[in-house]
Parts: sequence; C-alpha cells; structure tokens
Amino acid sequence: MIRGLWLGLGLVVIAAAAMLLAGANPLLGFWALFRGALGGERQISETLVQTTSLLFPSLAVAFAFRAGLFNIGAEGQLIIGGLAAGVIGARLETSGLVAIPLLLIAGATGGAAWGSIAGVLRARFGGNEVIATLMLNIIAGLLANYLVVGPLHSPGATGAETAELPHSSWLPGLLPDTRLTIALLIALALAFVLRWVFDRTVFGYELRAAGDAPEAARRAGINLAKTAFLAMALSGAMAGLGGATIVTGVLHRFNVSLSPGYGFIAIAVALVGDLDPLKIILASFAFGILQSGALTMQAFAHVPKDVVSFVEGLAIVALAARRFVAGRKQMTALPQE
Amino acid sequence: MLARGNVGLVHQHFELVDRLRVWENVVLGREPKRGPQLDRAAARAEVERLSHEYGLAVDPEAAVESLPVGIAQRVELLRELARDPAVLILDEPTAVLAPTEIDALFATVRALAARGTAVLIITHKLQEVVAHTSRVTVMRAGSVVARFDTEKTDVDQIARAMVGGELPALAARLETVPKPALALRGVSGGENSLAVRDASFEVRGGEIVGVAGVEGNGQSALADAIAGVIPYSGAIELEGMALAAENPADRIALGIRAIPQDRRREALVLPWSIVENVALGDQRRPPLRKGATIDRKAARNLADRIVQRFDVRTPSLDASVDSLSGGNQQKVVVGRALSNDPKFLLVYQPTRGIDVGAAALVQSRLIEARNAGVAVLLISFELDEILALSDRVIVMFRGAIVGTFERGAIDRARIGALMAGAA
Repeated sequence: MIRGLWLGLGLVVIAAAAMLLAGANPLLGFWALFRGALGGERQISETLVQTTSLLFPSLAVAFAFRAGLFNIGAEGQLIIGGLAAGVIGARLETSGLVAIPLLLIAGATGGAAWGSIAGVLRARFGGNEVIATLMLNIIAGLLANYLVVGPLHSPGATGAETAELPHSSWLPGLLPDTRLTIALLIALALAFVLRWVFDRTVFGYELRAAGDAPEAARRAGINLAKTAFLAMALSGAMAGLGGATIVTGVLHRFNVSLSPGYGFIAIAVALVGDLDPLKIILASFAFGILQSGALTMQAFAHVPKDVVSFVEGLAIVALAARRFVAGRKQMTALPQE
Repeated sequence: MLARGNVGLVHQHFELVDRLRVWENVVLGREPKRGPQLDRAAARAEVERLSHEYGLAVDPEAAVESLPVGIAQRVELLRELARDPAVLILDEPTAVLAPTEIDALFATVRALAARGTAVLIITHKLQEVVAHTSRVTVMRAGSVVARFDTEKTDVDQIARAMVGGELPALAARLETVPKPALALRGVSGGENSLAVRDASFEVRGGEIVGVAGVEGNGQSALADAIAGVIPYSGAIELEGMALAAENPADRIALGIRAIPQDRRREALVLPWSIVENVALGDQRRPPLRKGATIDRKAARNLADRIVQRFDVRTPSLDASVDSLSGGNQQKVVVGRALSNDPKFLLVYQPTRGIDVGAAALVQSRLIEARNAGVAVLLISFELDEILALSDRVIVMFRGAIVGTFERGAIDRARIGALMAGAA
C-alpha cells in the first residue's frame, strides 16, 4: 500500500507534466478534477456511479488474478453481460421484483459464458488466457453491435442500442435525482463476500493455492483445470453483473459503447488494490474520481480529458511491470541447494 | 601460460546451452574468429587438445542435451579449464554422479591440483572431504565456524562443527511385522530418458524401502506415477486395491502422502504462513474442513503441533514459509505428511540441501513412522542415506529396477556397481 502511495505521487507528477505539455495550468487542472468529482452532492453521486461501474470488473480481474489467471477480458465480459440484460430487459414487461433479479442474473450468466470460453481453452488445452480474453474483447464489441443492429434489433431503437427498458426494470435509486442506485450496495456486498471466500472458504483456499503455487496445489489434490475454468467463469460473471447494472441502473438500455473501458481500467484498479477486495473498494473510488472529474477538467481547465486515460494507462503499465519484475525475480531466485 | 588470475566455477546445476554442441559450449563467450566468422576448426582443435590434456574424454560434436550428466559435467569442467583458471570452484560436484564417475572426477581434480591450480570444493559429503582434500573450512549460517587440516581431523569432528554440537543419534529401529501396503505391478511412465520402465515391487507397512540410483535414472517418473501426477501404464495398488490413474486427491484421501523432491515448488506455497501451508492437501477433510470453510483453529493447532514436534525454528506460526531456512521448510513438509496417519509415505531426497541437524531430525521421524507401521519408500541419491535408513534396497538404472537387496544382504559395492550400469 505504501508503494501504492509512491505510485500515486509519481502519477500526479507525470499528470502535471502532461497538463503543462497540453498548455494547461496543472494546479487549475487538479482543482477542476477535484471539483468535478467531489465538489457537491451531484458530483459525489456521479463519482460513486463511476466507482460502482469500476468495482464490478475490478473484483472480477482480482478474482481471476488470485487464481493465477490474467483476465484482461473483463471489458468483453461486461459488454456481453450488459447485452444479455439489455436484450432481455427491453422485451420484458413484468414487476421489478421479478425483472430486476432476472436481468442481473442474465448479465452474470452472459459474462460467465463469455469468460468460460477462455476458461475452457485454458482448462482443456492449456491455452493462454491473456491472448484469449484480449481477443474476446474485440469479438464481444463486434458481436454486440451486430446483434443489436441486426437479429436482436428492438423496435423503436436507434443506432447500436436496444430500446429503453420499462421503468419497472430500472434499478431502485439510492438518492433522489441522481443516477446512483443499489448497484453500489451490490458491488460493496460482493467485495465483502469475496474477501470471505478468499480468507475463509475451502474454495478460496484452493483458488489461491492454484494461483500462488500451481505445482504444490496439483500435488495436494487440487484440480487445476477445474479451478481455472471456475475462476474464469466466475470472474466473467462478476464483470457481466457489472454490465447488467449499467444497463438497468445507469443507461436503462444496452448501448454498445456502455463502457468507456471499465474492464481495462479495472486491471489497474485491481493491482492498485493489491488484489484485496476491500482495498479494491478504495482503489475503485480513487479511479472513480478520475473518471468523473475528467470532463470538468476538460471544460474548465482546458486539460484534454485524455490526460486521465494517459495516467490510467501509465498506472497499468507501471503495475503490470512491477508484477512481471516480481515474477522474474521469483523465477531466477531458484532454491540454492 | 595464459594470463593467470581467472576463477572457474563448475555449477551444481550445469550452466550449459543444451542445444549447442560440446565445442560450441566450451568456446562460448570467447569464440576464436577468422575475420568476422567463427573459426570452427580452431575451436574444435582447442576442445580436442583440452580433452586430451586433462584426460576428459568427450565427443566435441555431440549435442549437450544428448549427454548423460557425468559427461555433461566434463563439458562444464572443460569450459572452465579452457580459461586456464588459477582457482577452480566445484559446487556439489558429485551430487549427480555414480560412484565410479566420482572416482574419475577426483582423479582429474587431483591432477589439476598437482599442476598448481587451487581447487575449492563445496560439498556436504564428509567422506569425500576426508578422502580428497588438503584443508577443510566449515561454514554454518553464513559464517566460517571451523578450519581443519584434513590429515588431523575426521568425519565426526567436521560433523560436530557443522551442527555446532553433538549430532543427535538416529531413532532406534524397532521390530515390526511388515504387512502388505503399496504394490507396483509393471509400472511404466514418464518421458524418454527420464522414464520409469516396468517397475514391480512392494513396500510393506513397517519397512523403509530405499531406491538407490544416480539422479536422472527414472526416479522422478517413479515418484510422480506413485503420487498420481503423471499418466502411467501398469497398476499401483494400496492394500490390494488398484489406485485410479492420475488422481492425486484420491491418493491423499487413501493415506498416501508425499515429501516431494522440490519442496519450494511442489510442496509449499511460499508466500503463505505455516498455518495456511499445513492445511494443504487436507483442506477438504475434517478436522481442517468445517462445512464450506477452513477451520482456522484446527489449522493453527496442527501447525503448532508440527512446530513443536519437529522443532521448526520460526518467529511465529504466521511467518511465511519463504522466510524459513530450507531445513525448517522441510520440517514443515515432513510434519504435514506425517500428521494425518499416513499408510504410505513417498519420500524423495528428504535431506537435500538442509543442515545436518535438521537432516538427522527428519531421518529419525521417518524411522519412527516406520516403527509405527507406515510403509516408506525412500528415493535418495545419497547412498549413505539409503543404507542408514532402509530395510530393503532396490537399485534403479536407466528407468529399470536392476537389483533388490534384502536387509542383511545389502552389499554396498554391488549396489554402487549396479548404479553405474554394471550388468
């Protein structure tokens, strides 16, 4: 966590430099970012909406990572989850008590199915999940676009999106006149459940063993193929659930561009949060501030909002590099016997 | 004479490029050139000259990956000698050699010393120290603790210096009534030169069966087949029941426990605490399992018992096993394997790379397990260890079992010859 603070500080310095290069005043930029994200009730609620949308895929990435799998396909799983919720939701006229759980389950199932593709490739054939999930992101976007424009086109929909969901299917709000919904509570609950799964359950224990020492885990009777499959499927389910909450809680329809890259930012969030579900809540909030303050920053301080993407990208590179360096050290530090 | 002052190092785990030929390995990094081109003729000639000069016979054109370990070590030695070292360091040079190869190596080393090269041998085999060196330095926990002239010391004195006191005596071997436990019937498995071929033998409860052999003669494949982590043909039976192939979970449930050869990779989750590690393998059974969760209290109690009984030196039960010394890591592994009433214990190089004190403790616990009726299969590359612990000895060479010796009829010289491939 200390190293996380150093990283944060480094990123702030680089962000300031980037703002200078873009011809803006960094102090003004940071002030606008802060005001845009936390300057009032509306801003804070919007930041929490972003936090929620980041938290689901971040937990998904962390879950797979703990099992030793680098799932960089949370974006695709989130899109497919959103697609499932949107397509079904746009055609479903029933009470919210039925519709909302059903749509959330549909989203989780869609994400799980998408994650399972990489899971099966890994479990059955030893395929590299990094390549598979990366490619499946692209396929997910194109497939969703094709389906909502073509075969699953909803009457009344314009562009690459479904028709609006009936009001009864909207997630209940938490604060009046904001987009903040109970999705935040679901995400927080999920984080606590995951912490419990990792720390206390036999399943979490086996998952972590498979991730931290696969050969020892195998010899202890843990089925690595099954674990890898389950980890990818459940990881996908979490990302898909996140997509479904965006559809039912924020946009009230599925749109192919429902995510500004939550699934990718999630990789940085999960790593900043040390793969610990509770720390990931804080990390999601920090990145939520960046997401929601970026537009204000652009409007008032004339800092291109791409500076935020730039900083997020740097965070991913820095954290991934740290992981790889740590991994290499482990590999070269062979037992001296 | 070339410039003096070079230091040569022959690594315990050879640092050779397997895919390159012998001469390519020897000249690597200081290749003779003719213009921009590699001067192959000169390189080959140099290797042949060195090979002849030091009496290290090796085919310069052979690919290193095709060579047996004893010959590969000669390549490693030739590469260092080509740099004409003033000091030659050999790190555990006999760990992978058969007894006859060991004799040949020491003949070469003595010839080098006679020519004025300073030779430093790092080893834990005290017999070799006494037989072949002029002076001995004993290190413990990173510091030099004793220096002797070899002529004026003996194995016991060196061992005491290594332990920092008297070596604990091994546990006494009690009378047992062996009863059938594990049986192998025509087991074959593993890959190419490392495979085990048609192995049939029994290990009875209350006895330790030692598998003697030079490393790389099928022992890994034998152990992996028994542990159920590789496919194999033939049958492995526990108390008359055939085990399901490739199913380690099943074996653990039936009471088959293993102390694998690479404890850091195959037995422990290094970043985890002792408490978390002792549950590994038993996480699905009571008392460690409680419903869907791990019973943390039971795991802590088990860890505490193992730490007490096996004298694991650790600041706390929550210390990561990565922070423990090799000997203490091994005590955790052995303690875990023995803690849940095993029927059969598969033990692979149990004292490799650990200090003599920890080694004696581990060996005593194995004898006690045997006394209590556990069937123990001991695979070791240390013939002394095999002879000290085993009730029966079988010898492996090129994947096959080439000899069986009952207690009372164990013939060290004959075992050594069989290990080297004598018919």
